Amino acid sequence: MKAIHSRWPVIVRVLAAILGGYAFTYATTATLARLLPFARYDAAAVATLLSFVVYLVFVLWAFSARTLGQVLAGVALSVPLAAIAFWPQLLGGMR
Amino acid sequence: MSAPALMTSLALAYAGMLGLCLGMDRHWKQLGSARLSPRWQRLCRPLGALLLVLAGYAASFVWPGGMALVAWFGLISLAGLALLLLLPYAPRLVLGLPLAGGLLAGLFALF
Amino acid sequence: MERQRSLTQSMSWLHTWAGLLLGWALFAIFLTGTLAVFDKEIDWWMQPELSDRGLGQAQAAEVAQRWLEREKPQASGWNIGLPTERAPQLSVSSGEQRRGERTQLDPATGEALPVRETVGGNFFFHFHYTLHLPRMIGIWVVGFAAMAMLVAIISGVIIHKKIFKDFFTFRPAKGQRSWLDGHNASAVLLLPFHLMITYSGLAIFSAIYMPAAVDALYDGDRQAMFRESRPGAEQAQQAGGGARRAGAEQGQPRGRGEGARPQAPAAELLPLAGFIERGEAHYGEGMVAGLSVSNPGRADARVTVRPLLGSRIELTKGEGMVFDGVSGRLLDAPEPSRPSLLTQRVIAGLHFAQFGGYPMRWLYFLCGLVSCVMIASGLVLYTVKKRRQVKADSSEGRAFLRLVESLNVAAVAGLSLACAALLWGNRLLPAELAGREFWELRLFFGVWLLSLAHARLRAPLQAWREQLFVAAALGVALPLLDLLLAPGAADRARLGLDVTALLLGATLAWVAWQLPRIATSRARRTPAVQIAGAER
Repeated sequence: MKAIHSRWPVIVRVLAAILGGYAFTYATTATLARLLPFARYDAAAVATLLSFVVYLVFVLWAFSARTLGQVLAGVALSVPLAAIAFWPQLLGGMR
Repeated sequence: MSAPALMTSLALAYAGMLGLCLGMDRHWKQLGSARLSPRWQRLCRPLGALLLVLAGYAASFVWPGGMALVAWFGLISLAGLALLLLLPYAPRLVLGLPLAGGLLAGLFALF
Repeated sequence: MERQRSLTQSMSWLHTWAGLLLGWALFAIFLTGTLAVFDKEIDWWMQPELSDRGLGQAQAAEVAQRWLEREKPQASGWNIGLPTERAPQLSVSSGEQRRGERTQLDPATGEALPVRETVGGNFFFHFHYTLHLPRMIGIWVVGFAAMAMLVAIISGVIIHKKIFKDFFTFRPAKGQRSWLDGHNASAVLLLPFHLMITYSGLAIFSAIYMPAAVDALYDGDRQAMFRESRPGAEQAQQAGGGARRAGAEQGQPRGRGEGARPQAPAAELLPLAGFIERGEAHYGEGMVAGLSVSNPGRADARVTVRPLLGSRIELTKGEGMVFDGVSGRLLDAPEPSRPSLLTQRVIAGLHFAQFGGYPMRWLYFLCGLVSCVMIASGLVLYTVKKRRQVKADSSEGRAFLRLVESLNVAAVAGLSLACAALLWGNRLLPAELAGREFWELRLFFGVWLLSLAHARLRAPLQAWREQLFVAAALGVALPLLDLLLAPGAADRARLGLDVTALLLGATLAWVAWQLPRIATSRARRTPAVQIAGAER
C-alpha cells in the first residue's frame, strides 16, 4: 500500500475535493445564476440544477489532477468567482 | 387494455437486445450459430436496433409520450438483464423466449 | 509530492473508496427507496383492519364531513384522504396536515375504525431520505451519499475498459470474475436508471444542498424565490384574501400567529362532495386524492382539492385548487409551470415515480432492486479482491478487511432481515399495544443491531449465509403468517405483497445457497483466467 508512506497528500486531496469542491461549486453556481441571461427565477433554477454536474466534474478532476497544487489553485478560483456572483452584496456591504 | 401492448413492448425489447447480443462474435459463437453464415450475424445488430425502436413504439400505446420514453429505458435495461442471466443459466431459452413472449402477447391481445 | 498516476488508477482509487465508504449507506437508501415505491401498498398491508368497501369518493366525503362536523367542529382545519385506487380507505385528520393524527373511518357506519398503530410504508419512505436521523442531518448525509454515488458511477464508467464488449457478459461460479461481471453488468445495463435516480434525488433537495443561486440573487430568501415561481398566485392571493393559506403548498410554514387574529363569523360549509366533481373537471376523473378545509364552519372557510399524483411526470405535490367553502367560488387554480419550474418538477417527478400506473411502479421497483444488487456486489467485490492480497498485508489491513466484511453483512443481509422483521412485527405485536409503532421501530433497529453483532462474531461466509437464510425464511413464510393472523384481510393488494415477499425470499435463499460455490471456486481460478485471457 503506497498510501501508507504518504498519507497527508491523500488527506489534503480528499478534503480539497469535498470541501474545496463544495466551495468551488457554490461560487460557480452563484456566478452562473448571476450571468445567465434569463429571468431571475429561471437563472437561479437552472444554475442550481447544474450545480451537481459542476461538483461532480470538480471532484473527478481533483483526483485526476497531476499535482496537489493544481487542485488547491482550483479551489482558490472560488474566491474571484464568488466576487463576481456577490458583487452587489459586496458593494452594499462596503457602503 | 394496455397489457398486450406492454407484453409486446417487453418482447420486442428483449428481441432487440438479443439482436445486439448476437451481433457480437463472442455471443454469436456461444449460441451455436456457427452453422449460419456470418452474413446473418452482420444483420443482427441493425435488426436489434430496429426492434428496440419498435419496442419504444409499442410502449407509446401503454403510456403517453414522455412516460413511454422513461418506460422504454427501463424495459430495454431489464430485458437486457434477463438476457444476461439466461445466457449462462439457461442458454436454450435465450432464443426461445422472444417467440414465447410474442405468442403470449398475441394471446393477451385475443382474450 | 505524490507519484504520477494514470487516470485509470486515480479513478479506480476514487471508485473504490467512494463506493465502499458510502456503499453501506447507499444500499440502505436504495433498498428502502425501492420498497417505498409501494409505500401505500405496504401501508395498506400493515393495517389489516382496513378493507376496500368500494365506496365512491362523493359518498366518502359526505361520511367524512358528517364525522368531522360532529367530532371536530372547532378545529382550525380538516384533512380528508379519499379512497383511491392505491389507498382505498377513508381517513380524516384535523389541525395541521402534516402532524395531525389520522383517523380511519368506516364508510358504512360513519364511525372511527380501530386500526393498529404502525409505522407503515411511510417508514421506508422517510428512512430513504433521512436514514431515520434528525431530518436536516439525514437529508445532508443522504445527499452526500448520493453525490458519492454519482462520483462512483462516472468514475466506474471511466475505469470500465470494455463497456460494450462485456455488455452481455456474465460468468457465474468463477469467484472474483463473477462478482466483477455481475457488478459491471448490473451497472452498465441500468446505467440510465442509476444516473437518473441519483441525479433526480439530488435535484429534489437542490435548494437545501446548493443555496448559492438563492443567496446570490435573492439574498437567501427562499420564500421570495418561491413566490416568483408563480407570478399569477400573487393576484389570486389578493383576490381571494389569503386563499393560499388553505393549501398545504410545499409545506411552507404559513399562518404563523394566526391565533391572534379574530375568528370570522360562523357560516355553513357547503357539502364537500360537490368539490370533488369540480376538481375532477380539472384533473380528470378519479384523479382527486383528498380535500383540505381551513376554518371550517366560518365565513372564511377554504376548501383545497388535492390531486392524485400521477397523471403526468411533473411532480405536482402540494398543489391544489382552492375554493371558497361558503360560496363555492374558485379562488386559485394551478397554472401550467414555467419551463424552468417544469424542468425541476419533471426531474423530481422522475424520482417520485407517481406516474404511469402499476406497470411503471413495477419497472421502478425492479430497476431499484437491480441498483441494490449493483451496490451490494460492489461491496462484496472489494472484500473478494482484498482477501487475496491480505496474506501479504499488515495486521491493520486485516482488521480493516474484517470490519468491512462484517459491515457488508449487516448493511446488506442485515437490513433485508430487519425489513422482513418489521413486517413480521407488524403482524405479531399485539394490535392494542400502547406506543405500538415505537415497538415496531425498536424491533427493526434491534434486529439490525443484532445482525451487526452476529456479523462481527461469525466468520464472513457463515454470517452471510445465516442472515440471508433467516431473511429468506421470513420472506417465504410471510404469506403464511399473513393468512394465519389476518385471514379476513386477504385482498389483491395484500396478497400481492405476500407473493412479492415470497419471491424475494426465494431469491435470497437461492443466493445464500449459491454462496459457498462462489466462495470456494477461488481454487479454480486458473481456468477462469484462461477464459478471460482467451477472449481478449
